[in-house]
Amino acid sequence: MSRHNELVDDLVAKLKRRQLVGSSTVAQATLKLLIVVISKNTWTTCNQLVTLVKSVGQRLVEANPTELAVGNIIRRVLHVIREMFREAESSVSQKNQTEFHSAPLSTSSSMYNLLGETGSTPDDNVQYSSSLRSNIIQEIRDLRDELEGIYDNIKNQASLQIHSNEIIMTIGRSKTVEEFLKMAAVKRKFQVLVAESAPSYSGQEMALELSKAGIETTVIPDSAVFAVMSRVNKVILGTHAVLANGGLVAISGTHMMAAAAKHHSIPVVVCTGLYKLSPLYPYDEDSFNVTFNPDSVLGFEEGDLIEKITVTNPYYDYVSPDFVNLFITNQGGHPPSYLYRLIVENYDPNDHTFDL
Amino acid sequence: MMTEALKQAGDVTDIEWEIIVLHTPTKPVQSKKSTLMEKLQQTRDDEEEEEYYRNYFDERFRPITLETARCLLPLCNVPLISYTFEFLAVAGVQEIFVFCCSHSDKVKAFVKQYGKSSNMKIHTIVSQECMSVGDAMRELDAKQLIDTDFILVTGDVVSNMKLDKVLDEHRARRQADKSAIMTMVLKKASPQHRSRAVGDGSLFVLDQASKECLHYQPVKAFKSTRRDRRMTMDMEIFDKHPEVQVRNDLIDCQIDICSVEVPALFTENFDYQDIRADFVHGILTSDLLGKTIHFHEVSDVYAARVRSTQMYDAVSKDIISRWTFPMVPDSNLQAEDCYEYRRGLVYKEKSVVLSRTCVVEEKVVIGANTQISEKSVLSNCVIGKNCVIGSNVKIDNAYIWDNVRIMDNCVVQHSIIANGAVLEHDVTINKGCLISFNVTVGANATVPAYSRLTALPEDEDEELVSEPSIVGATGRGRSYKEAEDSDDEDEEVDPKNKGVNRLAYDMTALKLEEAKAREDSASEFESEASDIEEEEANPAEELDREIAQTLDRAFKEKHDVDIAALELNTLRMASNSNFHEMRKRIIPGVLKHIDLAAAPGSGKTVKEILARWGPLIGRMIHDEADQVDGLFILQRACAGLYEDSTKSQKVFAPALRYFYDEDITEEDAILSWYHSEKSQQGTEIEKKLREVATPMIEFLEQSESEEEDDDEDEDEDSE
Repeated sequence: MSRHNELVDDLVAKLKRRQLVGSSTVAQATLKLLIVVISKNTWTTCNQLVTLVKSVGQRLVEANPTELAVGNIIRRVLHVIREMFREAESSVSQKNQTEFHSAPLSTSSSMYNLLGETGSTPDDNVQYSSSLRSNIIQEIRDLRDELEGIYDNIKNQASLQIHSNEIIMTIGRSKTVEEFLKMAAVKRKFQVLVAESAPSYSGQEMALELSKAGIETTVIPDSAVFAVMSRVNKVILGTHAVLANGGLVAISGTHMMAAAAKHHSIPVVVCTGLYKLSPLYPYDEDSFNVTFNPDSVLGFEEGDLIEKITVTNPYYDYVSPDFVNLFITNQGGHPPSYLYRLIVENYDPNDHTFDL
Repeated sequence: MMTEALKQAGDVTDIEWEIIVLHTPTKPVQSKKSTLMEKLQQTRDDEEEEEYYRNYFDERFRPITLETARCLLPLCNVPLISYTFEFLAVAGVQEIFVFCCSHSDKVKAFVKQYGKSSNMKIHTIVSQECMSVGDAMRELDAKQLIDTDFILVTGDVVSNMKLDKVLDEHRARRQADKSAIMTMVLKKASPQHRSRAVGDGSLFVLDQASKECLHYQPVKAFKSTRRDRRMTMDMEIFDKHPEVQVRNDLIDCQIDICSVEVPALFTENFDYQDIRADFVHGILTSDLLGKTIHFHEVSDVYAARVRSTQMYDAVSKDIISRWTFPMVPDSNLQAEDCYEYRRGLVYKEKSVVLSRTCVVEEKVVIGANTQISEKSVLSNCVIGKNCVIGSNVKIDNAYIWDNVRIMDNCVVQHSIIANGAVLEHDVTINKGCLISFNVTVGANATVPAYSRLTALPEDEDEELVSEPSIVGATGRGRSYKEAEDSDDEDEEVDPKNKGVNRLAYDMTALKLEEAKAREDSASEFESEASDIEEEEANPAEELDREIAQTLDRAFKEKHDVDIAALELNTLRMASNSNFHEMRKRIIPGVLKHIDLAAAPGSGKTVKEILARWGPLIGRMIHDEADQVDGLFILQRACAGLYEDSTKSQKVFAPALRYFYDEDITEEDAILSWYHSEKSQQGTEIEKKLREVATPMIEFLEQSESEEEDDDEDEDEDSE
């Protein structure tokens, strides 16, 4: 157990100090750590390994509960582990023909598993083949490759979504959206409006990047979003996380933009990697939000004034699922109503919390 | 012309300032050329060593700090020092030295525990005599712990600043110019800003182009003497720097990037105590050292020091209002914490029990396992772990630490209540109180504003004598009285300045107190005023006293001549006097220690004293005019030592001989002294002393004429 503790401490400290932020960075760091944890420790049964990963996961998630990607990656890994053990078990039981054992119906993605008992932990007493360990690690490496190639899978769908001479609106700086638009610009000619996203003004950076790629880009103040919405053909958004109900945790200003789009019946498309999809529910609008330093809203130098007023500077908005028309993930396009299915396919219901 | 050169920046107008520019003749400044070799040696390893110390010498948190270290006081339920460690950790610091003196065991235990959970190397250095930054730096130099540049911070800094930019800047500057020994980090804020420590202001004279600090002066909140209201700076500054800023709008959070030389400089100048008032001021006013101090101005980050209860209040509020992000309670910097952020700046641990009818208003932090009963109202406050708050309690603006019990119907306003304190029912705590560990305030008591209560007995051996008039009949505790006699005799604190950095301090309250004080001691004030005038009028006397003290110390502690000379030189520069003034005091000062009756070997005979301390006199004498002057002083000094001329002669003759032998005074000087009218006048003894020198003069004259003859002979030979 102790062999990986230093690495875990290091990542926990980085998450707490916010030295690591952004879904993609934390997801990759988490996965890297988990590969080390799994390969360096000895384990023989499924329970042992699940307990080990969960104990690490709990610490990481508590370090910064708002980085939902950390929890998602851990759940994905746990899911992979359970699947691999289940497979190994079924192959063992197939070999031991004498013992009559009804192997679970293929994988958990069947309708049977949805309704019946799910995620039954494999029996601890079974002797697994020696290749199991390397198989699990290989599966997790595949997961890492998936993370690295996530932009390619998403941006390949760009030409299906964006047509010539359209006007696209977006907000904030999202790597996924940036890649998506750049890919579309290879084949089509269209115009992009970027809301500047005060107070971080990340929209301005986004506009700069897009215009460098030769896309006709206009920066608009956040206040003008509603006014120009009627001219827009499509709103394409990035997000920090997607919650179980299809709601978004996205940069502040997104809710306003999505609401304006709904008012004008303009489709809202969200580009996101699957690792941002979380099985957690937002019970409270603030639950996954981060409140930043108010300095960028009201300067600390103001002196007297700051004693008399309270300034909050929330970094994210919660956008409810009925504002979103389509999710473009690395596994294709899905309506919000289909997300439950993705959650079932990717996560084991036993892993929604990391309590042991 | 002076005012033209001054570019006023910041808000200097709210305080009356006389800016005095001192005109001194320009001296050639030694330009330091760093050779290539030096530059090569400059490439340092990336590991930045940190040194970090805490000062206990200010007593603003008493009586709470009688029982624990200031850096361990909880700020929003996290020990103060954790914020500093965290700040350093974010800056990528790998090694920390912690200096501590009082309560070192508690600090050590905490640091040990903290070090386990982080990957920094933290060393604790305990030294009881370490009373100031100066002492700590000297200790550091003595132990040779640091061989790279380092960051110097106090244990009460709260900041979310990223230091890497400052470090890079400092490094680049050091590469270019070796004399840049320090970079101070200054934060811009308006003069009335709450994170500005009242009464701890500073005035900086800066050159924006070269980022150089040219002059520094501490500022008091109330300037009662003319000296407080005046700033003196060197005219030379304007010759070198075309554009100068005089600024009062900077918060000095004492985060300094120091080079390796800094501890050594502290050792050389062993009267330096404070890093700002002594070190920075000293380095900048000294034209001998040729060192420069630079600054880095930050504006979009948070940085403050918790140096007083007023700052404790302000910084707590800044943390709760998230100005220190990401150092906020819900970041859970301590491993065991689990705070959640709620709307309205409320931070709550998971295990808190709130009753159905209690009201948690804005800006509240509630620690683990705390219970709050019916109808209690909390606003703008911090409540620690395991507290029990009864029903109908009103807490506003207060800081309640761990394990405190507050019973029904209490009212607490703008105060600090330390661990384990108990407020029985119907207690009222008025604003500005400090209630120390384990004090019990009995039922129905009303604690007056600005009280300081402690449960420690006055003497360690005695039992605690409770004061029922303050803590009630069933209470336990006494009011703490500040020790009036401050150790620092030069630290004349204006009584008004004492109160300003208190918790919940406000001007109106002060005026009342002040008026009362006036009534009480109107005469005292007057006498004080006249004292100050006298002191101002007579710097010579002060110099007398200081030199005498320095010499006494040097004799008693057997200092090196070098060190004594350095100290005296510093005094000379500090008092802006010349070498004549110094000689006038030092020569009699040294001779005074001669004991004619002493046996050889005791170190007090004429010969021994001269051999040991003569070089010191030599340091004060340079050219011929000095030498003649020195002899006059010697003559007078010897005459003044004893009533009996024979005794005086016993001192004068060897001294003169010594001066001649050691080339302190040359022949010409001795001759011109002997033949001058001034030496022939004066008292009887002085005249007799001159006569003592006669044989020597004759000898000198003779040898001189012989020499001349020789010269002539040689001349003749050559022809």
